[in-house]
Amino acid sequence: MGMISVALGRLSQAFLLLIAMSLIGFIGIHSVGNPVFNVVNVETATPEDIRAATIALGLNQPIWRQYLVFIGNVVSGNFGISYIYHLPAFDLVMSKLPATLELASIAMLIAAPLGTGLGLVAGRRSGSLFDRTMLKASVSALSIPSFWLAMMLILVGAILTGWFPSGGRGATASFLGQEWSFLTANGLWHLVLPALALAIPNIALIARLSRSGTIEVENLDYTRFCRAKGLSSQRILLRHTLPNISVPIVTIIGLQFGGMLAFAVVVESIFSWPGVGKLLIDSIQLLDRPVVMATLTFIAVAFVVLNALVDLFYAVLDPRVRLSS
Amino acid sequence: MKLGSPFRPRLLSALLISIFLGSAPATPAQAQERGELRIATSYKLMTLDPQYANLNENTSLLSHIYERLVYQDENLELKPGLATSWRPLSDSQWEFKLRENVRFHDGSAFDADDVVYTIERIRDVLKPPSGGFRSYVSGIKSVSAPDPLTVLIETNGAVPNLPLSFSSIFVMNRPSEGFVTTEDLNAGRPPVGTGPYRFERWSSGESLRLARNDDYWGGEPVWSKVTFRVIENPAARVAALSTGEVDVADAIPARDVASLEQRGAKIASVGAARVNFVQFDVARETLPGVTDKSGEPIANPFKNPLVRRALALATDRGILVDKILAGYGTAAAQVFPNSLPGTSAKLLPEAPNYEEAKTLLSKAGFPDGFNLVLAGPAGRYPGDAESLQAIAQSWARIGVNAQPAAAPFSVFNTKRAAGDYGVWYGGTSGEAVDIILHTLLASPNSERGTGALNFGKYQNAAFDGMLAKAESVEAGPGRNAALAQATEFVMADQPIIPLYHFHHIVGYGPRIGSYVMHPRGWTTAMQTLAAAE
Repeated sequence: MGMISVALGRLSQAFLLLIAMSLIGFIGIHSVGNPVFNVVNVETATPEDIRAATIALGLNQPIWRQYLVFIGNVVSGNFGISYIYHLPAFDLVMSKLPATLELASIAMLIAAPLGTGLGLVAGRRSGSLFDRTMLKASVSALSIPSFWLAMMLILVGAILTGWFPSGGRGATASFLGQEWSFLTANGLWHLVLPALALAIPNIALIARLSRSGTIEVENLDYTRFCRAKGLSSQRILLRHTLPNISVPIVTIIGLQFGGMLAFAVVVESIFSWPGVGKLLIDSIQLLDRPVVMATLTFIAVAFVVLNALVDLFYAVLDPRVRLSS
Repeated sequence: MKLGSPFRPRLLSALLISIFLGSAPATPAQAQERGELRIATSYKLMTLDPQYANLNENTSLLSHIYERLVYQDENLELKPGLATSWRPLSDSQWEFKLRENVRFHDGSAFDADDVVYTIERIRDVLKPPSGGFRSYVSGIKSVSAPDPLTVLIETNGAVPNLPLSFSSIFVMNRPSEGFVTTEDLNAGRPPVGTGPYRFERWSSGESLRLARNDDYWGGEPVWSKVTFRVIENPAARVAALSTGEVDVADAIPARDVASLEQRGAKIASVGAARVNFVQFDVARETLPGVTDKSGEPIANPFKNPLVRRALALATDRGILVDKILAGYGTAAAQVFPNSLPGTSAKLLPEAPNYEEAKTLLSKAGFPDGFNLVLAGPAGRYPGDAESLQAIAQSWARIGVNAQPAAAPFSVFNTKRAAGDYGVWYGGTSGEAVDIILHTLLASPNSERGTGALNFGKYQNAAFDGMLAKAESVEAGPGRNAALAQATEFVMADQPIIPLYHFHHIVGYGPRIGSYVMHPRGWTTAMQTLAAAE
């Protein structure tokens, strides 16, 4: 019973969140400007053309009616047709998802183990030269703006050395009906710089979290007991410290992963990586409302699902959570 | 208390280096096929329907696949395309002779019926918002094909500009039945034209792949494959060209030209067939943001030609062109760069004269000047938002305090349409001088379709008459002279302050021998010549 009521509670919360998000998003994009000026060429269109296009897009209706039409469409599983591309908006978002998914996954596959590992070592030897270097490096990695980091990576990795391509997705291979870059050598090569640009701030964030967790756990009784029992440092760190500091780390990984799926806008734009974030910012610039709304809805759902997964993971990872339930 | 070896930092960093730098392949460029042209473009192709929206974004890329009856060369003179010749039979009749032995990419022959289909599709089938090309065919009463290589067009009254209209229209082939819809074309029906390259693949906002059309009537196209990559970020386009990932990159920011040349790239540029200007609202009694020095609203000062003239005299175009556009712009005195057909050789950009401007302002009743808000788009045209700042500074020298207000283009348009601005920075382009005069300076009249961009509601009956007379003359020197005269007449009244014609800048790499710039700002594979091997 408990599980069901918890699940129901979560579901209704998620539902409310989606409603609120759609209202805010809809009003927000509505107040930015009139998309008709991006659909017809203002420099050559006649007022009559503009008026006809406005009516055809339903933009002459009051905003509340446009919102009701939008909600009605969503309920019937249809986010409308992109004003700019004339493709179903949701299909458009889904077609950009593989690019974002592989970029975010690879960035997280770099950031999570590396960040956790660095944090464990630094925390274990807190106060050492390595620890101080790591702390300073993580502060700078967290404070540099991502566009600058991305530009520097292009400058060093592509322009000065010529080791990596400066942008784009490279060759793709088909898998599960979608195109993926990570399946080809050329595509993987294109992934390196953008993935690094996304990973570096996350390495720093995760490293700091795991470092402070490690320092805390190192002084707890059970660690000292382990040591007294003669377990090796490595075993203590991996089998006892790591599981006990994992809850905040997993939380932040989940949140950051969601963030990368949705808001890797800067990195995706600079590396012209055709993902969801780039689609969102392009669509906002072009005031392509159906696509903006479809993307925002997708992002909200992704966050809700990721948070639920993170909650589930607590139980798997943390022995205390497992025992109390 | 020593840690196990896997955690030694030195080992870690070595590991890191080997992961990220270890097995680097020589260069990514080696993978590319010989004869493939790679272009980084700022133009984001929106749709595969060539008759959907009249934007360079679409027409530039689709012109590889589809062709027009008539072309405009680099001097904007008309050249035969799919039509070899055309002539008026009477005041309301035109005859176009078509090119023989032209085939569509699907093998079917091109004939007059395809032209009939194209015109009917634009005029009768496409519904808004896909009405971007309708104005080009609105003067056509009927179209028929007396024989496979002749198209006969009846117009409502005289339309001397008809051949020019056809330089904007892509010819499609008639399907076995009915009309092709925009949705069909976007959803995977391969676009079929007569152009030098055939369609291979498109992913929206990402790339367009084309392959050589071996049966092209104009001889074998240069490149076996052409790949367009949509890169909207200017810095990313510059980076892609610097690293040799692409052979051509368009819309290069002027500030990056020097560093690109240092890295061995070549640069081509041309003054755009367009103008950026300051436009005044001359109709309303009072204007938002226009006040006296104490902030009290005043009557619209721009109704007085002396004020407009004073502000024009106080505008320093040199700073805009030399500093803001880094030399990649031409100071403007009319709607097209001088020497293009229809421009006046007498209109030359003036140097600022603040003393005279002040005198004029006093004469108009504003010895102390006044306050205004100078609005404009940001990021739409090269130098747009920076120009607002520079103009405000030079106007301050005659006592006019301008507060620059830049907004994203769509926001700017929404607000301008709502009448939120009294004076603003704008831009426009067109196929010819008369089209710009027609939309920007002629009195607004929805029946005649004039003044669509005349947001300031400037009205000048004498100019309207001169323009209408010029427009009734057949294309040629007579028409050009009449247009130049009309321009001189209207510019004396200063309804707008022409600022500059920015330059289209394209950079290209070692695989390209030369690149022919077009003032309309297209980026195409046809403009490139391969470097000699």
